[in-house]
Amino acid sequence: MIHHHPDDELLLAYAGGAADEALGLIVATHLAYCPACRAGAAKLDAIGGSLLAGLPPAPLAAGALDAALAKLDQPFERRPRSVSQDGTPGILRSYIGGDLRDVRWRQMGPRLSYVSLFRRGAVSARLLRGTPGADSGAHSHEGQEYTVVLRGGFTDATGNYGPGDLQVMDGGTRHNVVADPGEDCINLAVTTGKLKFESLLQRIAAPLFGF
Amino acid sequence: MAPDALEMNALLGRVALDRDRAAFAALFTHFAPRIKAYLLRLGAPAAVAEDLAQEALLNLWRKAHLFDPAKASAATWLFTIARNLRIDAIRREKRPELDPDDFMPEAGPAADEGLAQAEDETRLRIALKDLPADQIQVVELSFFADKPHSQIAAELGIPLGTVKSRLRLAMARLKRVLGEVE
Repeated sequence: MIHHHPDDELLLAYAGGAADEALGLIVATHLAYCPACRAGAAKLDAIGGSLLAGLPPAPLAAGALDAALAKLDQPFERRPRSVSQDGTPGILRSYIGGDLRDVRWRQMGPRLSYVSLFRRGAVSARLLRGTPGADSGAHSHEGQEYTVVLRGGFTDATGNYGPGDLQVMDGGTRHNVVADPGEDCINLAVTTGKLKFESLLQRIAAPLFGF
Repeated sequence: MAPDALEMNALLGRVALDRDRAAFAALFTHFAPRIKAYLLRLGAPAAVAEDLAQEALLNLWRKAHLFDPAKASAATWLFTIARNLRIDAIRREKRPELDPDDFMPEAGPAADEGLAQAEDETRLRIALKDLPADQIQVVELSFFADKPHSQIAAELGIPLGTVKSRLRLAMARLKRVLGEVE
C-alpha cells in the first residue's frame, strides 16, 4: 500500500512536460507502482489533449500531407521488448541497462552503497542501497531531494516509506534515514543540490562519492 | 464545434486495424495543424514545429496498434506523443515514460471506458471554456509554457500562492467533470 504520493503540482509538471528528466524519472517510477496516481496522471493528460484539440490550427506548408503519406511505407525499427526478470520498472531498466539485480553497486561504508544514473548540472539521479538498520547520518539539503523506494523500506522523523512511496525533502530540511529491518532498502534518489552531512567523517567522505 | 472526439477515435481504430490511409489523411488534416500550433505556443521555431507535427502523425501511424481507447482519446494520445517528441527534440532530454510491458496493477474496474474517454474529452473542452479567464490562463501555461510555476507567477506578476490556488480551483472543477470523487 502506497502512502506517500506526488502532489498535484509535481504530477502536473510531469503531464505538462515542464518537469526535467530527473523529476520525470521520479514521477514515472512512482507511477509504475501507484495505480491511483496513474489514473490522476491520465486525467491531466486528458486535459492536455483537450487543450490541444481546442487550439486554433496553424496551417502546414503546402504538400505536408502528401509528404507524410509518402513516408508511411518507410521501414522503421520497433523497440525491442525487454521484460524485467525481477520486477524492476521498465523506465529504470533503461537507465540501469538491466535489472536491479544487475546493478554494480559502489560501496560507501559498511552498510551503504550507491550507483549514479546520471547528472545534469547540480541535479543528480542515483540508486541508493542500505542493508537493514543502515543509517544515512543526519543531513540537510541545499536543494530538494526526491526519493522513491524500490525495495524494502526506510524510516525517518517524517514517517515510514515502503515500495512506491515518494518522499520530497525541501532545501534546508534535515533528516536522518534508517533502513527498515527485513530486506535491503533500495531507493531512487534525485537531488537538486549538495547534501550537507553533520558528522565530520561524512563531511570529508561525501565529496569523494560525488554527494 | 470541431469534429467529434468519437469520430477521431473511430478513424484511429481504422488506421490500427485496416492501415486505412484515408483515415490517416483525415487525422493528419485535423491534428497536424493543431500539434504545430501547440509546438509554436511552446516556442518552437516554425520549421521545427512543422517537422515535429509530421513526426507525431507518423508516430501515430506506426504505433496505432498501441492506442487504447479505454485509456485515452485520440487527441490525448497525440498530445502525449507531441509532448514527448518536443522534449526529445528541443530540450534534448529523454522523457521518462511508463513502460507498457511492465506489469502494473490497475486501480479499479474500467467499465465502458472506451466511450467514456472520448466523451470526457468533449465534456472537458466545454468545461475548459467555462473556466474563469484567470484560471484558464494558469492551466494553459502549465501545458504550453515549459516553465515551473514560480516562473509563471513571476511573468504574470502575481504571487506563487495565487498561481497555485487558481490551479487548485481549476483542477478541482475539471476533475469533477471527469467524475473524480473528491
